[in-house]
Amino acid sequence: MFSARRIQYVRTLLARLKIDPARLEMYNLSAAMGPKWAEICTQFTGKIRRLGPSPIGLALAKRKAKE
Amino acid sequence: MIVGTQKPIEEIWEMVKDFKRVLVYGCNTCVAICHAGGGKEAEIIASMIRMKAIEEGREMDVNHAAIERHCEPEFFEPLMEDVKTYDLVLSTACGVGVNFLTQRIGAIPVYPGINTSFYGGVPQAGVFTELCGGCGNCILHLTGGICPIVRCSKSLLNGPCGGTNKGKCEVSDQVDCAWYLIVERMKELGKLDKLLEIQPPKNWATDTHGGPRRVVLEHIAEPEGKR
Repeated sequence: MFSARRIQYVRTLLARLKIDPARLEMYNLSAAMGPKWAEICTQFTGKIRRLGPSPIGLALAKRKAKE
Repeated sequence: MIVGTQKPIEEIWEMVKDFKRVLVYGCNTCVAICHAGGGKEAEIIASMIRMKAIEEGREMDVNHAAIERHCEPEFFEPLMEDVKTYDLVLSTACGVGVNFLTQRIGAIPVYPGINTSFYGGVPQAGVFTELCGGCGNCILHLTGGICPIVRCSKSLLNGPCGGTNKGKCEVSDQVDCAWYLIVERMKELGKLDKLLEIQPPKNWATDTHGGPRRVVLEHIAEPEGKR
């Protein structure tokens, strides 16, 4: 549970940087749970796509376009 | 050890945002133990500043480093030339480290990345409690090893006030009454009668009230002219 608390802490840090904490999740899985892992990856990828590019990614793209 | 807590990123950002090259400089002793300003924390803060700079559209070169102690020259002198290439050092050492580096770095500002809080212990991982006030005139032999100066909310020297309640302080039921602990400890040591001796008003000249303090060991320090 120590890791879970640390992940929660990192989420608070992300929020302070105006990055949606939903971009970080933690899942508990055993090495034998391949199908579940694949399902989580698919779901999480969908979630990130719905959230769109991160503010950091957008800012970096903007900076690159200026150069 | 010295206990500190990290400053909020918003406060740090206001300090650093106008500088081009910033070094977040950690100390791997006390403040690393309290997860506030060690090498790992310096790295995290540097990363957050970099992200903030990107978001705000500012060009900044932010790096991190850490040494074992910021309070002795031997530890940071080897890195000093590199440190002096920055526009700003954000020190995540305690206030001692910030002062110590400031005296040696020349015309480069050193800002604090943490709030230095107190001298304390680590009763369990992630919990830090104040145990010593550094008053310069220790009386722990009279109080069973429990400091009434910082552990009693009123710094009382001759027993508890009327606010003691079932072993807790009137300030908060989360705070132990230091004098309850002292009495219990003296009972355990068989020295309860020692508490009947009235303690005179404490000489606070040895605390910060007497101005900045200094200790000089004549048998170790160079003579005054050579220092």
